[in-house]
Amino acid sequence: MSVSREDVLRIAQLAELDVAEEGLPELAEQMSRILDYVAQLSGVPASDNLKPYVPGPDAIRFRSDEVAPTPLAFGPAVFAPAFKEGFFVVPKLGQFE
Amino acid sequence: MSDAKAVADRLVKAKRLNALLTPPKDLRKSLLAQAAAARPTGVLYGMPIAVKDNICTLEFTTSCGSRILEGYQSPFEATAISKLKAAGALIAGKTNCDEFAMGSSTEHSAYGRVVHPLDKSRVPGGSSGGSAALVAAGAVPAALGSDTGGSVRQPASFCGVVGIKPTYGRVSRYGLVAFGSSLDQIGVFGRSVHDAARVLSVISGRDSRDSTCEDRDPLRLPTVPESLQGFVIGLPREYFPPELDPAVRRACDRAIRMMKELGAAVREVSLPHTAYAVPTYYVIAPAEASSNLARYDGVRYGPRFDGSADIRALYRATRGQGFGAEVRRRILIGTYVLSAGYYDAYYRKAQQMRALIAQDFRNAFDRGVDLLFTPTVPSPAFKAGEKLNDPISMYMSDIFTVTANLAGLPAISLPIGRVKGLPIGGQLIGQAFLEDEMIEAAYALERVVPATDEA
Amino acid sequence: MSQTGQHWETIIGLETHVQLRTKSKMFCGCSTAFGAPPNTQVCPVCLGLPGALPAANGAAIGLAVRGALAFGCTVHPRSIFARKNYFYPDLPKGYQISQFDQPLATQGTLSFVSPERGAVTATIVRLHLEEDAGKSIHDRFPKATAVDLNRSGVPLIEIVSGPDLRSPAEARAYLQTLKQLLEYIGISDCDMEKGSLRVDANVSVRRVGETVLNTRTEVKNINAFSFVEKALTVERDRQIALVESGGSVTQQTMLYDSKENTVRPQRSKEESHDYRYFPEPDLPPLILTPEFVAEQQSELPELPGQKRERFMAQYALSREHATVLTASRAVADYFENVVRAPAEPQAAANWVMTEALADAKDHQEQLRVAPGALAQIIALVKGGTLSNQAAKRVFGEVAAKGGDPRTVAESLGLVQVADTNVLSGWVTDVLGAHPTEVARYKNGEVKLMPFFLGQVMRASKGKADPKLAQRVLEEKLSA
Repeated sequence: MSVSREDVLRIAQLAELDVAEEGLPELAEQMSRILDYVAQLSGVPASDNLKPYVPGPDAIRFRSDEVAPTPLAFGPAVFAPAFKEGFFVVPKLGQFE
Repeated sequence: MSDAKAVADRLVKAKRLNALLTPPKDLRKSLLAQAAAARPTGVLYGMPIAVKDNICTLEFTTSCGSRILEGYQSPFEATAISKLKAAGALIAGKTNCDEFAMGSSTEHSAYGRVVHPLDKSRVPGGSSGGSAALVAAGAVPAALGSDTGGSVRQPASFCGVVGIKPTYGRVSRYGLVAFGSSLDQIGVFGRSVHDAARVLSVISGRDSRDSTCEDRDPLRLPTVPESLQGFVIGLPREYFPPELDPAVRRACDRAIRMMKELGAAVREVSLPHTAYAVPTYYVIAPAEASSNLARYDGVRYGPRFDGSADIRALYRATRGQGFGAEVRRRILIGTYVLSAGYYDAYYRKAQQMRALIAQDFRNAFDRGVDLLFTPTVPSPAFKAGEKLNDPISMYMSDIFTVTANLAGLPAISLPIGRVKGLPIGGQLIGQAFLEDEMIEAAYALERVVPATDEA
Repeated sequence: MSQTGQHWETIIGLETHVQLRTKSKMFCGCSTAFGAPPNTQVCPVCLGLPGALPAANGAAIGLAVRGALAFGCTVHPRSIFARKNYFYPDLPKGYQISQFDQPLATQGTLSFVSPERGAVTATIVRLHLEEDAGKSIHDRFPKATAVDLNRSGVPLIEIVSGPDLRSPAEARAYLQTLKQLLEYIGISDCDMEKGSLRVDANVSVRRVGETVLNTRTEVKNINAFSFVEKALTVERDRQIALVESGGSVTQQTMLYDSKENTVRPQRSKEESHDYRYFPEPDLPPLILTPEFVAEQQSELPELPGQKRERFMAQYALSREHATVLTASRAVADYFENVVRAPAEPQAAANWVMTEALADAKDHQEQLRVAPGALAQIIALVKGGTLSNQAAKRVFGEVAAKGGDPRTVAESLGLVQVADTNVLSGWVTDVLGAHPTEVARYKNGEVKLMPFFLGQVMRASKGKADPKLAQRVLEEKLSA
């Protein structure tokens, strides 16, 4: 299976990533090769009942409902790229609501 | 107790490796302050430990080897770091790594590649190449890295040091910048098994802030055993394929012989789904990464790349320019395999394959095997630039390491010989939460194996 | 029926998001208190900082289970959190932790009274847990959006109904009943003004008789209760007009504009709603033990429907009256406290439904007269000490200033006169003052009784006990 230029652009849109026009053919080719490589998994028979494996605890732990925030060494005003009157500021959504 | 100035000097002397991201001035200042404040009763009192730059620290910035977090100062520190400090250790700067831990050579850092301590034309391995190089160069006795598909063990093997990846859930991931959430663990480099294990013991244990961290006491260190009497070591045939580099095979054979001489029983086993491990990993890891890296959008922290037109432009410029090529590629792959129409064929299939891989290990251990022994990597350190144009070739160097991450098992790499002067490591894979047995065997092997001899 | 005479059916389904009443957020220990200065109730987790991880709030899980039980849902002992991936400035991680194909609960019902169809039972298709996003404010800075993440991470349940509602008014009734139920069980404030209750609607139309469901649109930005019916009406009419003029409904999101009372499409460059759901790797499965579920069940109070039925049976109330008295837990509990004081249930019902509720309406829903005091007022009327009118005045006084009803009545000079001697005196005076009317009455014009009674009441300045006064009048007039 092959990943087309249009596929790459569509996926890049979903991932909110700019991809340079010049880089598109190579990227499409690399992605195709990688996806072809991983697609060999589809050849392995595995019944639909086979449960996925995820390591870690079997059940979620319940945290008690107390107001106990993790202290921050300093607030957002220090690390935010744009901060005004207590708010993070971003360019307007343009065509969005 | 190390003199803070001496520690700083040693680290600065290793400059040529490009392994340390922290500017010398900041490093010196911080080490002096830390040394003054360190708890003298801590078990790691005065021990300088370098930290991979994808682990959050208050003392130094956390850039994850990326432009998108250039200059980012975290307002909180990782649980592992808090535990080290409580034990009196010194945080000896942040080390260079592949961007967001994605890579096997530390050539994908936005801050330049790291140089192999023994051969400057070669890579130290990755993604925790900076940490491995500094320990190998003797600049620090121990360092933290992270291991998602082999990123501690493979550089340990390339650089000739010890590298441990704990059982998934043994060490808190709180403060480790996430790459592949179900695969990541903080790991430890050391000059010796003992150094690495001591540090691992301190950083291990329960943490209510990480829901995937098991509610267990910290790891208790075993004593160095007299022999390997009673140990059953399994050799999975799929990790010793016919095409394995003969020098690597010789080194492994020597190590196996020595384990037998120490009294271990050795037997061949099979892990039949091994061939699918790398493709499985390269579906799951990018998928999780594509989601974990969505937060890097220029809104709340990090630099903004121009995109003043509107918010989407800001996202696309920041992420398009802030991420390097390998990270962008993996995000795109990950987004693809999760997208509508492809989820079942790729992601769901890979998670099922993971179950089969984990089952392979359980079967082997159920049949009376205590530990598995394998080569860590198919070859010694390759030349810089050699694999950059061929991502799949780069991925294949993880072939012996990804299985432990997929199955959530502990694994350790220790040096077992040299190939044309370059270090090669042997790997022990243990049972879940039985790091002590694995470390015990590693102690025994370390004592006898001629790690610096040609294989 | 539309202008062309076609009979149209409207199909509406509602997705309701309800903030749970917990002290801390869903996945971190930050406070959920409303109204704090922006970005002051935040931490690495709800800011989406590198390295942060979620830790689930057990109380939120408990409240969600209670909600599910109140709807009669099947509560699943094992459910999975999932990531819903999309980019938006108030979504710090670039994904929302929610639930997807293995939610907390499914298949419940909500019965309510439709203005058009009477009793209706809507399906609750699913109820699941998720975290809230922060707030984006578009009009504070020019050409920019301000983001406040205080709300990011607050626990929510999402309640999805089936396409079971058949009119905007019906949707309103469903929502009203849902709000009442959740308030009853105390899991949320359900305040649309404060944003603790939000609703999005799915709307489609079809000709009466069709069985297929047509393309539906999603209607968002309905920010107040009073807008629900309006917004849905506007969208329904838009769809009908569109189809009648030969067009077809496209699947899109419509935003309601309350100022203009219109809907317009949410314009976006791409309608990519590919959320790429996958199980949340930072959280193990949510396992609910039978003990935990049983504990939530035992914490549930009597539900509104049950209470209404009991009131009808226990207090011999009509369905209508029982419905009014069980509209809120506060009113229901108040009514029962009055009855227990003791007071006769029918009288208590009347007084609560009229005087108490009217007074509460003007005083921030406070029931200002203590149940014991209201019971006393009722007793004073029953015993003839106060006329109904006088009692209402006493009620008003006690509501405003407190005090013992009898004392208040006396100090206002409202205590009714039931002394027959005094009454006789007034009656004699009145009859003496109106001989013509007396003669007419004795001649057969019994309709003049109210006139005489009115005169006695005037003479007594309202203090005469009307029933007794009438008896005395009748006696004297028949003499």
